[in-house]
Amino acid sequence: MSIVRDLAAVAKGMSVTFGEIFQPTEVENYPDGPGPFRGAKFEERYRGRHVLQRDENGLEKCVACFLCAAACPSNCIHIEAAENTAEQRISSAERYAKVYNIDYNRCIFCGYCVEACPTDAITHGHGFELSSLNTTSLVMRKEDLLAPMPDSPAKLESSTQ
Amino acid sequence: MADVTLTVDGKTITAPAGTLLLEACRKVGIEIPAFCYYPGLSLQAACRMCLVRIEKMPKLQTACTTQVTEGMIVATDTDEIHQARKAMLELVLANHPLDCPVCDAGGECELQDMTFKYGAGGSQFVEIKNHREEQQWSPVVFFDRPRCILCYRCVRVCNEGMDVAALGIQQRNSGSVIAPNDQTQLDCEQCGMCIDICPVGALTSDTYRYKTRPWEMTHVGTICTHCGDGCKTTLGVRRSDDGMQIVRGDNRDKSGLNGEFLCVKGRYAFDFANNEERLTQPLVRQPNGEFAPVTWEDAIKIVAQKFRVARDDRGGASIGVIGSTRNTNEEAYLLQKVARSAFGTNNIDHHRTTDYVALTRALAGKKHRMASIADAGSAPAIFVLGNDPTEQHPLLAWNLRTNVRHNSARIYLANHRDIKLQRQAKSSIQIPADGYAAFARFLGGEENSVFGEDAKALRDALRNEPSLLIVFGSELRGSAIDALAEFGLSLPDTKFACLGDYVNSRGAADMGLYPDLLPGYVPIEQEGGLRAEYGGRMSQQAGLDVAQMFEAAARNELAVLYVVGDDPAERLGVDADALRNTFVVVQDMFMTATAKLADVVLPTSNLYEKSGTVTNTFGDLQLVKKAADRAGVRSDLELIVRIADTMGEDVHALVPFGKGVRADMGQSRGVQSGEADRHGIWLAAHNLEPKLSPFDPNAVLDEIQRLVPGYNFDRMELLAGTSQHVDADGSGVMEISRFANRPDGAMPSADTLFTSGTLGHYSEKLNEVETFQAKKSMVAAD
Ligand code: SF4
Ligand code: SF4
Ligand code: SF4
Ligand code: SF4
Ligand code: SF4
Ligand code: FES
Repeated sequence: MSIVRDLAAVAKGMSVTFGEIFQPTEVENYPDGPGPFRGAKFEERYRGRHVLQRDENGLEKCVACFLCAAACPSNCIHIEAAENTAEQRISSAERYAKVYNIDYNRCIFCGYCVEACPTDAITHGHGFELSSLNTTSLVMRKEDLLAPMPDSPAKLESSTQ
Repeated sequence: MADVTLTVDGKTITAPAGTLLLEACRKVGIEIPAFCYYPGLSLQAACRMCLVRIEKMPKLQTACTTQVTEGMIVATDTDEIHQARKAMLELVLANHPLDCPVCDAGGECELQDMTFKYGAGGSQFVEIKNHREEQQWSPVVFFDRPRCILCYRCVRVCNEGMDVAALGIQQRNSGSVIAPNDQTQLDCEQCGMCIDICPVGALTSDTYRYKTRPWEMTHVGTICTHCGDGCKTTLGVRRSDDGMQIVRGDNRDKSGLNGEFLCVKGRYAFDFANNEERLTQPLVRQPNGEFAPVTWEDAIKIVAQKFRVARDDRGGASIGVIGSTRNTNEEAYLLQKVARSAFGTNNIDHHRTTDYVALTRALAGKKHRMASIADAGSAPAIFVLGNDPTEQHPLLAWNLRTNVRHNSARIYLANHRDIKLQRQAKSSIQIPADGYAAFARFLGGEENSVFGEDAKALRDALRNEPSLLIVFGSELRGSAIDALAEFGLSLPDTKFACLGDYVNSRGAADMGLYPDLLPGYVPIEQEGGLRAEYGGRMSQQAGLDVAQMFEAAARNELAVLYVVGDDPAERLGVDADALRNTFVVVQDMFMTATAKLADVVLPTSNLYEKSGTVTNTFGDLQLVKKAADRAGVRSDLELIVRIADTMGEDVHALVPFGKGVRADMGQSRGVQSGEADRHGIWLAAHNLEPKLSPFDPNAVLDEIQRLVPGYNFDRMELLAGTSQHVDADGSGVMEISRFANRPDGAMPSADTLFTSGTLGHYSEKLNEVETFQAKKSMVAAD
């Protein structure tokens, strides 16, 4: 009796296995897939490396209000503010971030900075390959985080990041 | 006045009749929001935030203008009031820009706080907001019109507090706009009081605009390094590439003896510390005549070696030492102690700007005759002889104006020029520029035809004052001070104050930076006391003053000149030739005229970068806290100790530190956890904290407290930030006859509101303001 029962149990289990074998593959082709993420796929709300956004005119959205830095629980955002001038306009308000660093040694990807931002300037992108053998390279500067200019050739490649 | 009893929100409260309802409520912890009400200024009733319901009154009333009356029944916490507050805020915000993220006031804005608390989260308006461009009114003042909520605080503080009246109102009603006096610019004292008092971000300062945000800075309350009044200024500092940089000066911490006040220098002239020209490496002159940077060790070795050789070969009298009027008391004290006990010289002096010695001698043995600067704000009558407080002692002028406004104080003036304070004076006379000494004697009763009826009337008025404060400038020195003191002491109740120019002019004098006086004005020839403490190398011969030191150098009699934070070469016009045979060591922040003549230049920190104490010209002792930091510089205290140490002196004999203590450095008392270090506070207050290094200014303060006459202050109070008044007892000076006709050697600096001795040259903002105002007065003169 017990043999019959055991065989039935095995058959039931294997039926799942064989059933799945002939289904289409759902596994991501990372890291051999196409695109900047090499096949990795994300939920829309995945919190990866930050992107500093630009407005429709290509000006930086960040106005250096320091609210993200104030909200950050791991104190990893460093900003230095400066004033826009008529000759050199960086953001659309009076002030812009001359320096904007995020220290990814410390960032815990909590998203508080994104919540705090009044101008939707800082957002979480999907960049996730952040490991490094050199911790100093994990302090990313504004230039590393900024979204490309609306019409720049780099746009297509990294707009999804 | 008699007390009245009233009921607020069901609570029975008592307050003196005549108190404003708003104040009475605040006293018992019932908060009534207010924008336009400001303690000490006239009432405006413009903002209507303070509305309350008073029984039997038909409409809501403004608590800021209503006086309490017996039996009043007030409601401040009902739906009706909440609704009223919300409606007022909605109106204020109707055309208010959504600027908070970039606005300088964000984070310390009263409108933000009120909206948060009494809030109108949404708006009923759909209209587009009216935008106006920001305007620059002066090198320091900017105006952003849409942010203005028309509380008129700025207008009132400039008018009443400053007596400048540079701000006014154009147009009426909702079209009202704050406007500067000179069309589109401000012709004024540039004090920034209007910016400080603005509850929102409508008035902003050029130095801080768009730089950072309040919570990003560390705020340190320390003492302004400029004039002799010693205001407390709060410096906002931020990490920078080479230390901690000062980004803002303001009066956030209104706990100092200056209360609300700061002048243009205390608020904006901190930028000398960030000047690019600052020296950050020790420099030694090479055989080819050029300076070359060397390490600190080498520089100190060279200096110590020269000092020792000079002392041992040519005697202590071949060494000259010049101290500073901007260093701490600890540094001044240690400098003269090292000079006397290690170098064996009495050739020690500083830039004297007035004659404290004469006043101390004149008041010898009399207790509590020296005034504190607070007395200028409370004395019923004040006689100001000489000086122009508005220009040279802005806080004194503020206190006098406030005193007249609030207490109807009587101010008497005698001056050789027209000064602005005349507008507050009860009576004011003009005397000849060289007639101050004669006038002092005239007051004492010596008749003089130079002084006419008005002078006699003034003298009579002063004689009839039951209580008088006499403040005099550096026009009076030596025997003139004696004559004035004699007159003052013949009146029933008189206090005195003598006006010196720099932040620690008084401290330098008190700490004995004199060739013939030890700390506390003790004559060098007096036995025992300090002499016994300082050891056998000390000479009994009075030394040379600054001018004599340069003469001695020219005669080839000075082997070494050690200048700590002073610029005598610029002041006295010394040429390089006079110092060709003298080894000159200069400790300074910049390549000053004296530093250019030096053989070794040691870069030092300024008053904002060190801790210690300073004494203002009134004798108010205050704590200096380290705010900023600059890589590459050292404090004068550290350098003095290290030079003496390298010379082979016993550092323990110079600074009482260590004493065999092994201390827990704070690990076990949780100082890292953000809690108040109660353990540390207790130790410090009871003078028990271990001083583990000779660079600890508190160790020197211990000795000052123990040995310097007059400096027996309450340490707990000092540490808590309260100024302590010191009153030197000059009886020693009195006993010795040579002090009767002692030359005072004072060279008043004649600074104005916009200059600050040599230091002022290095403040870009101050220079900018000075040029701006100079242009304004040229136009006015045309
Ligand atoms: S995600 Fe969190 S930890 Fe990272 S920068 Fe933003 S606030 Fe800081
Ligand atoms: S004044 Fe206050 S409420 Fe107005 S924009 Fe500035 S911070 Fe915001
Ligand atoms: S800076 Fe001072 S003097 Fe000038 S307008 Fe403002 S309050 Fe008046
Ligand atoms: S500028 Fe500031 S202080 Fe002056 S009225 Fe407007 S809000 Fe009030
Ligand atoms: S009055 Fe004197 S001490 Fe006060 S802020 Fe002005 S310069 Fe500094
Ligand atoms: S505070 Fe009473 S009306 Fe402004």
